[in-house]
Order: sequence, then structure tokens, then C-alpha cells
Amino acid sequence: MANRLLDRQVELLEYLTSGAAIFGDGGDAAHEAAWHGIDRSSLRLEARFSHEKRMEKIAVVFRRTLKILGDDASAVVRAFAAACPPVDISRIENERQFHDFLCDRLRCERLDLPFVRDVAACELAFAKARVGVEEGEPQARSDEDRDGIRRRRGLVLLRCVYDIRPIFEGGSGEAAPIKRDTPLAIGIPPGADEPRVLELLPAVFDLVAALDDWTDPAALGATPELQALIRDLAQHGVLEVRG
Amino acid sequence: MWLWLWLRLRLILPQVRHAVSGRSGPTGRSASGIGAMTSDERRPAVGIGYRAALDDWTRANIERFDVIEITVDHCIYGGKAAKSAIFDLVGRIPLTAHGVGLSIGTDVPLDLAYLDAVAGIVDRLEAPAYSEHLAFTRVPGCDLANLLPLPKTVTVAQSIIAKVRVVQSRIGVPFLLENITYLFEWPDSDLSDAEFLNLICRETGAGLLLDVENLHLNSCNHGFDPYAFLDALPAGLVKEVHVAGGVTVREDFLKGPFLADSHSHPVPDGALDLLDYALARHAPATVVLERDDRLDAVNEILDDVERIRARISSQQSENVHGQPTVGSAG
Repeated sequence: MANRLLDRQVELLEYLTSGAAIFGDGGDAAHEAAWHGIDRSSLRLEARFSHEKRMEKIAVVFRRTLKILGDDASAVVRAFAAACPPVDISRIENERQFHDFLCDRLRCERLDLPFVRDVAACELAFAKARVGVEEGEPQARSDEDRDGIRRRRGLVLLRCVYDIRPIFEGGSGEAAPIKRDTPLAIGIPPGADEPRVLELLPAVFDLVAALDDWTDPAALGATPELQALIRDLAQHGVLEVRG
Repeated sequence: MWLWLWLRLRLILPQVRHAVSGRSGPTGRSASGIGAMTSDERRPAVGIGYRAALDDWTRANIERFDVIEITVDHCIYGGKAAKSAIFDLVGRIPLTAHGVGLSIGTDVPLDLAYLDAVAGIVDRLEAPAYSEHLAFTRVPGCDLANLLPLPKTVTVAQSIIAKVRVVQSRIGVPFLLENITYLFEWPDSDLSDAEFLNLICRETGAGLLLDVENLHLNSCNHGFDPYAFLDALPAGLVKEVHVAGGVTVREDFLKGPFLADSHSHPVPDGALDLLDYALARHAPATVVLERDDRLDAVNEILDDVERIRARISSQQSENVHGQPTVGSAG
């Protein structure tokens, strides 16, 4: 074993996040000898506790996804643990890791449930909205002095291949969603505590996606219809309006 | 681009279909009475660790507590609603600050940006102290988010001492280290738990957040005398106390049953006995009950708080009758 403390700590965490430590992979012989002088059964318990603690938090966010995966969920979780050691303490980063792993896995495997990717993406979007994660939003150029409209900070835009709303509305998940381009905006509207989902028309979705920075609505044309749309989007927490 | 959008908009205005879910979130919070530290300076304030899932319940029962412990990492990584609920407690009840994300034992320089964020939160909470675990949780590129022990050697202690001084230079309130529960020992450890802690605390002036449940579990799992540990601490070193209740784990691959610090069950009498003993030699400012699981069993939480209060009262009564408490909360 390495002498430098950091090297020893790195080796220990590599072991504690391995399938061998968490699930006992490798057979009994692999677990009999001490690990660098440390009782291996204690390390296995440590590894299992850490894994369970991490997965408990992930499972809360991906409740519907894991339910849809059914019997396959445990295999997915096991493969996830082996492939994706935790890189960050924050919940959202672990949730993002799980989502990305799941999407990669679904891309490589036969898709009996092709809409699962959308469900997982929507559940991750809920989690991001709760934390207020802002992604892909360039720095506003001169935030302080500009009037206009822009996409609300923390809003998550998601373009689903399937209309997965029934899964979130009914919670049953029994009927397969219909394949239909479904542009969604997920965020916490003013005055609300929990995220809401709005389905946007494709053109509105494109408009909202383009409004990274404060923009003068006059540049879009000042028709009563557009003003009504802006008011509506602002009321639902999709746009911020200033001035 | 805009022209194209505008042309499309003219075709589809004004409908925006609203859809899907929206689970009801936390309801409005009541402004309960302000909890107060006990007027008896020698009597520790008793409270619980704040958990977002119990926010409404905590507010409804706030008068039952003297203090609430806030995990600073929830203020850093938590959602907007969770953060605002925490900061809303400022002024309603005394708050103390506790951390889980410093990883002071990782053999790399401290994350100063994290520390500065903690300093801001401690200020905002108006917390009188900031505590962290004498442990490590991560290495570059991997964060287990679980507390792991350090080799208990003089060399490692010296490294921690230097880092404690950095913490003290950046945080405006006293810094406390907490003893952790551990499942394994490093083979090169040549100091006892108490020797390791004492060395670091003596050199830095840091106080101890004594987790009596961790001490209880470690003594059972690793077969040492917890009272000898307490006897080895200088009087007055303990500034805050944690209590909790865990479970017994049985696995085929373990040599025997193992006590785990799950923060899920009532505090065992063994831990409360250690609290009694500690109170005879120390005057901690707070005793905080930690509960992270089976949160629906709120009556167990209230019962535990009352059991802690009863132990404190009983200890005070003994002190009045000729066994003075040694040290001060300082």
C-alpha cells in the first residue's frame, strides 16, 4: 500500500466504491484476506452503508423511473454503482450521474420502454428546478440596467419524444405514453413551493429557449397577441419581465 | 431568427397549454414562539438537528426546543425553498452550525471557497460555534459523502492541526471537532481516540463536539471503555453534545452483530449514561438530538428530548448536592 496518506485514502475510496466491496463481487476468496491490514468485512459494511445512503437519495428523485424499470431496476442500480463512483457530495450531481448513466445504458440496449429516458429526464428536471440549477444559460451581459423579457432563471426546458405527462399526472405508469414531440418547461412559479410542468407549443418553446438574456419585446413585434403571450408566460413563471 | 419565430408565433398564438403535475409542497409556516436558551448558564440548551422533512412539525413544536442545529451544507447545496426555510428560523430560536462537507482529514489543502461559504452561512445563522467531524469523506474525484476515520498518528494529527488553524482563521466563531463512529481502524494508528483528539484540541484551542452515541457504538464495536475515553478528556473540553439512536446490523460476512449509527431509533440508555458522565466534568452549551430516519415517529423525538432534559436535570441536582461540574462552556 502507498505510504502517502492521500494515496492510501484514494485507494480506500476506490475499494469502497467498487462492486467487490458493495456487493461482494468476486467470490468469498476475494474477501478473506485483510485489505492492506484492515478487516475486509468492516470495509464491506462501510461500502454498503455508503452505497445505500447514496441510492436512497437518488431513488427519491427517480421514483417513477425505477418503478417503470421494475425488476430491471436492481440490475441498473448495481451497474450504476460499479460504473459511476460518487464524485460530489451534492444530491443533484449524483442524480445527474444516475440520469446520464441510465440514458447511456438505454441507448446501448434494446428499448422495451423507450419512454423511460423521457421520464428520467423529467424527474431530473424536477430535481434541478427544486435546487434552482441553471444550465446552458450564458452570463447576462449587463444584467442590472436592462429592461425587457428573458427566460426565468432556474427554469428547465425539456423536449420529450413521448408525451409522458400521464405518468406524472396519474402516477400509475401502466399505459405506455404516446410518441409525440412534447416541449416542456419545468420550474417553480412565483409563490409556489414545488415545481410545475407546462407544455409549450413548439414555437413558444423555441422562443423561450432563445431568451437567454434580457430582450426588448419590441424587437419581436408589439402585437397584442405577443403581449398576451408574454403576460401568460410571465404569470406561469416561464419568463421574467422587467420595465 | 426572430422573424422566423415571430411568424410562427403569429400562427399559434395565444394558446399555451398547461399540463402535468405539481405536487403540493410545504404549506405556509406558522410563526411559533421564539425558543430561548435556558436562563441557567450551566444548563445546556436542548434541541434537535433541523431536517427539511420535519420543517412544519419543527415549527409547530419549536417551544419544546432551546436550540436547533443547522447543517451548513444544506444551506450550500439545498434547494431554494429549503434554504429559505432554514434562514427563516433566524431570530425565532437560537441556531448552531454543523457541517458534513469539510473533509478536514483528506490529505489535500482545505477547500477555501467552501470554507468561505460556510463562514457566510454561520454569520447569517448567528451561530455561536461551527462544528465538523474529525474525519475524511472524499478524495479528489470521489466523494463518498460518508465519514471515514483517519490513521491516529502524530503525523496525521499535525496535518489536522494546521488545517484547524486555517478554519479558525476564516470562521468567526469557535470551531469544534466531533468524534465520529467508525467501522474500521487503520493498522498504523498508534494513538487512542482520546489521545488523538486531545492532541489536536490542545494545540489549536478547538473544542469538542462529543457525540455520545458514536462513543457508545465505538466502545461496543471495538471493545474499549467509553468512560476511560471521557476520563481522558480535559475538563471543559466538551462544548456541544450529540445524541442519537442506531440499529444493530447482522450480516453473513460480519463476525458478529455491529451497532450502526443510523440516527433512526430512540437513544439507547447506554448513550444517555455517557451523557450523564460527561455532564459531570463538562458544561456543554448544547445537547442536540440527531434524527435522520423513521422521521414519522415524531413522538420518539419528543420523548428523547424529554429523556435528555431529565438526565440534565438529574445531573444538575447531583451537582447541587456536592458534585460540582468541572470546566465551563467557555
